[in-house]
Amino acid sequence: MTTALRDLIANPNAAELELIARYGMLPEDARRERAFEAFAKGGLPHRRVEGWHWTDFKAALPVIETPAETGVAADPLPTEGALVFSFTPTGFTWPEDLPEGIRVLAKPEAQAFGASEDMPLGALAAALAGGKTKPGTLMIEVTGQDLPRLHFRFSGDGEANFARVQIILRPGAKLAISESYLGGAGFTASLMEYSLQAGAEFSRTVYQRAGKAEVLAATAAVQLDEGADYRQTTLAFGSKLSRLETRVTHQETGAKATLNAAYLCAAGHHADITTEVRHGAPACVTRQLTKGAVLDGGRGVYQGKFFVPRNVGQKTDADMQHNALLLEEGAEVFAKPELEIYADDVECAHGNTSGALDANQMFYMRQRGIAEEEARALLTEAFIAEALEETGELEDVLREQARAWLAR
Amino acid sequence: MDCCGGTDEHEDDCTEVTVKEGIDAKTVEAAKALESENYSAGFSTEIETEYSPKGLSEDTIRFISAKKEEPEWLLEWRLAAYRRWLTMEEPTWAKVRYDPIDYQEYYYYAAPKSGAKYESIDDVPKEILETYEKLGIPLREAEVLLGVEGAAETAATAREAPRVAVDAVFDSVSVATTFRKELEKAGVIFMSISEAVREYPELVKKYLGTVVPQSDNYFATLNSAVFSDGTFVYVPKGVRCPMELSTYFRMNAENTGQFERTLIVCDEGAYVSYLEGCTAPMRDENQLHAAVVELVALDDAEIKYSTVQNWWPGDEDGKGGIYNFVTKRGDCRGPRSKISWTQVETGSAVTWKYPSCILRGDDSVGEFYSIAVTNGRQQADTGTKMIHLGKRTKSRIISKGISAGKSDNTYRGLVSINKRAEKARNFTQCDSLLIGGRCGAHTVPYVENRRADAQLEHEATTTKLSEDQLFYARQRGLGEEQAVALLVNGFVREVLQELPMEFAVEAQKLLEVSLEGSVG
Amino acid sequence: MLKIENLTATVGEAEEAKQIINGLTLEVPAGEVHAIMGPNGAGKSTLSYVLTGRSGYEVTGGSATLNGDDILEMDPEERAAKGMFLSFQYPVEIPGVPVMTFVRTAMNSQRKLRGEDEISAPDFIKKSREIAKQLKLDAEMLKRPVNVGFSGGEKKRLEIYQMMMLEPRFLILDETDSGLDIDALKTVAEGVNAMRSPERGMLVITHYQRLLDYIKPDKVHVLAAGRIVKTGGPDLAHRLEAEGYDGVLGEAV
Repeated sequence: MTTALRDLIANPNAAELELIARYGMLPEDARRERAFEAFAKGGLPHRRVEGWHWTDFKAALPVIETPAETGVAADPLPTEGALVFSFTPTGFTWPEDLPEGIRVLAKPEAQAFGASEDMPLGALAAALAGGKTKPGTLMIEVTGQDLPRLHFRFSGDGEANFARVQIILRPGAKLAISESYLGGAGFTASLMEYSLQAGAEFSRTVYQRAGKAEVLAATAAVQLDEGADYRQTTLAFGSKLSRLETRVTHQETGAKATLNAAYLCAAGHHADITTEVRHGAPACVTRQLTKGAVLDGGRGVYQGKFFVPRNVGQKTDADMQHNALLLEEGAEVFAKPELEIYADDVECAHGNTSGALDANQMFYMRQRGIAEEEARALLTEAFIAEALEETGELEDVLREQARAWLAR
Repeated sequence: MDCCGGTDEHEDDCTEVTVKEGIDAKTVEAAKALESENYSAGFSTEIETEYSPKGLSEDTIRFISAKKEEPEWLLEWRLAAYRRWLTMEEPTWAKVRYDPIDYQEYYYYAAPKSGAKYESIDDVPKEILETYEKLGIPLREAEVLLGVEGAAETAATAREAPRVAVDAVFDSVSVATTFRKELEKAGVIFMSISEAVREYPELVKKYLGTVVPQSDNYFATLNSAVFSDGTFVYVPKGVRCPMELSTYFRMNAENTGQFERTLIVCDEGAYVSYLEGCTAPMRDENQLHAAVVELVALDDAEIKYSTVQNWWPGDEDGKGGIYNFVTKRGDCRGPRSKISWTQVETGSAVTWKYPSCILRGDDSVGEFYSIAVTNGRQQADTGTKMIHLGKRTKSRIISKGISAGKSDNTYRGLVSINKRAEKARNFTQCDSLLIGGRCGAHTVPYVENRRADAQLEHEATTTKLSEDQLFYARQRGLGEEQAVALLVNGFVREVLQELPMEFAVEAQKLLEVSLEGSVG
Repeated sequence: MLKIENLTATVGEAEEAKQIINGLTLEVPAGEVHAIMGPNGAGKSTLSYVLTGRSGYEVTGGSATLNGDDILEMDPEERAAKGMFLSFQYPVEIPGVPVMTFVRTAMNSQRKLRGEDEISAPDFIKKSREIAKQLKLDAEMLKRPVNVGFSGGEKKRLEIYQMMMLEPRFLILDETDSGLDIDALKTVAEGVNAMRSPERGMLVITHYQRLLDYIKPDKVHVLAAGRIVKTGGPDLAHRLEAEGYDGVLGEAV
């Protein structure tokens, strides 16, 4: 059977052959097989596939190996009072004592993954998560409200790190989670699935930082029921290639999603923020703000899409903004803010800017006596900070990280 | 200090107005006459037609080339394109769906039988002249021609007489080019491309395929192999073309593909404004149109290219209509050159079209102004590419999409800033308007920035026709369709203003006609 | 104090550069307030930008010194630290940077450039409160981002607030009266008048005489085509108002 799958990938490279081999070593599982098939149809996505044009995994990942210069980034997100779940290339740890209102199941087998064809690297994570020391699917059910933050950490030296987490919030439940992607493994792929039932509130903070050798694909699939409130803030510094992808489906009326992100890319770092929001129910709201700052040799990619289907998407209210600063010559920012709309009673807008800091603002600050470098740092920080304002208790931590990077 | 701020540019603007003032009365009249009938250009002309053998092969290409008495180099050029095309695949990335095209089911050459070349307008068959007259295209302006011989030099005459020179293409051949003499006086070459190949082979050879290479894309390569006719314009150094130039394309014969090729070259410091109009009769089968337009602007030259396209869009159930797969590209080759595309797209069953600018010269400027209307079951995937290569290059994109009925309307655009494009600027505004709940409006912009000193701005909105505004207008006594037309006109005003006046009137009327039956 | 001699300057880059300042000579001694009036396009705003070092404005000849120091070679922030303050005709919005943060950063940057100690937080806040009160500025306003969402009048008052906070040695007010109603104009003028002192010079740039009813100048200069074409006492402003620029200038040429 593995041989048949091998044939599905045209001209597989060494990395793809390794992924096939890894799949072959896992116990047989029909759902796992379907997920792997979904990945194998196209193999590692590359530049000739729409949606991956600027973020080419096949080129960035010729082989899967432990990075020569390994070094896991420090995790700035506080863990005191949080429940920490840690995924490494070789193992998994999780807290023994859980408060009431949270139930955790570490399942050895895979779970079905619906939109697997649309998210090939999410499907790959679903297919390859698990093994002797790690769960195939980590399932978490939340019924409480006053709960500690759940913190998921993906780090550690090694070849590859795969993980899959499903969280379901029962009606009215409230939860805050955070995820840190800290590098160390040559290839990390995660699939996070969040399902918010009626009236649930969920806050997600993603922190990503890694070196110039790591390749990362963090995929999240989110489903929102009636009146659910989903808030997400991402701070990404990129790596050799990092893609942080979020797919949100408004599936009942009155849901709200806030998707903010900031990316800061230095030389040799590529950060890709991709989102797709499907307004599959009337009167749902999406607010999206993405900010980026890129240095010489860095590359920022932003792809946003609102999809509003016929009839069910009426009264959609959706706004998408992406603003990027190219701080030095040699920086690159590629953006594709997309609208696909089949319902007429909607308010959808997007805006996209990229360029240098505003010359008027710079002069105004310098006229008041602020030195050029300081004015630049102050303006850039203010620019980035706007995307971090909805983070909640972790805002200051993220802001401090952004500030430190800008003051480099 | 005067009110104009004392700048020289203002004076230039003033003189430009007088050039534009020459409204072609017949065109306006014809546009006004397009009344309740949804597609008044949908009649066909009874005329004997000569076809190439059906289908596509090297023999077809040799047939076309021989019919046109082409030199050997051009035949070879066509054959090379054809061989290349055989290795290519039809693109699928656009948001359009249509049944697979059987390229062997088309005729690649159709010409009125009474002769493919006409020495003068008097030789053009009466039926064709009548067709153009019905369409409102002023070909037979003998009296005007007489006038031109005499006193056309004076500004007063210029304002009264139609100031549009027309090249009319009927299926595969150019039937008439007007105002030749006056243009010749100015040194402007304006003729069908087949004639130009014979009369100015060096010029054609020098520029043909330099903007849209033979191998550019599937449809452009097909066009390179089988292009039938089209227009050639050359404006020499420092010449401001004294009138608007215009081509009118008409697809008449059944099962015919139209593959015209337009090449416009503006030499240093020259200026030309070019208008293109297209119609086709109503037929149940899908006709294929795969044109290529190449524009070359040398140092300080300016080309303004305007299109009003109302090819037959097919009937309400999506039967018939034109497949419009067009490659249009301008090359701002010289410093300070400018190319401006303005399009009003109301027709065709499927449109696949991205008039683009390569901003190669330093300080060159590219513009794209577009109104795309889809109704019924039309599908349009259209937009532009602005490729910034030179320093301080500027581009501006204003796109207004209107979707009604069960149609799909996509704006797809690329703004690409090259590493060398110091201080490049782009502004993009993309607005979509939805009329009714069964259509789709999509915006797919790609923005690639590789310069820190570039300044790029993109804004887009998607909204529906405001119920409040509609009610307000109707309360004041406007009929529903009238109110819709009024509001739509407001929505597209920014682009309409970019059209030469005679086209603006026609375009406005077309919008109204295209949107009939879209509400209620 | 401020001494400008035979200054020429262009606006725009390379081939597109236009000469706007055209041999301008002017001296404002310490303790005096001079007004510069002139028709649109005379070069009034250009002069203020040339003196404060905005990019895109190139000095092609002549000199400008503040207390003997050549300011034309300095960066904008160095000039600010030397005491040059420009009240902008169109104050710039800076999202994300609160007024207090902005002014304190500016104040400490200037002090650092001058080799002085930073102001302590309590001292800064105290000073800010006093000045805000004087200008009838709401304390909430000072927590908001600089100029973002402010009305025209509020923006101008905020310029005066910054001026009073930073205590510059030389003030340039560029069309400070534009967009102000009469009450706001009075408040602003009071602020400016409070800044008058024997050590401080001011250049008030305005199109209309109205502002000069509230900020009384010692001298009035008329700027036309990039040069000072006429100089007189405060009554010159009234004559310009009554006779128009054409009338007064016709006689000057």
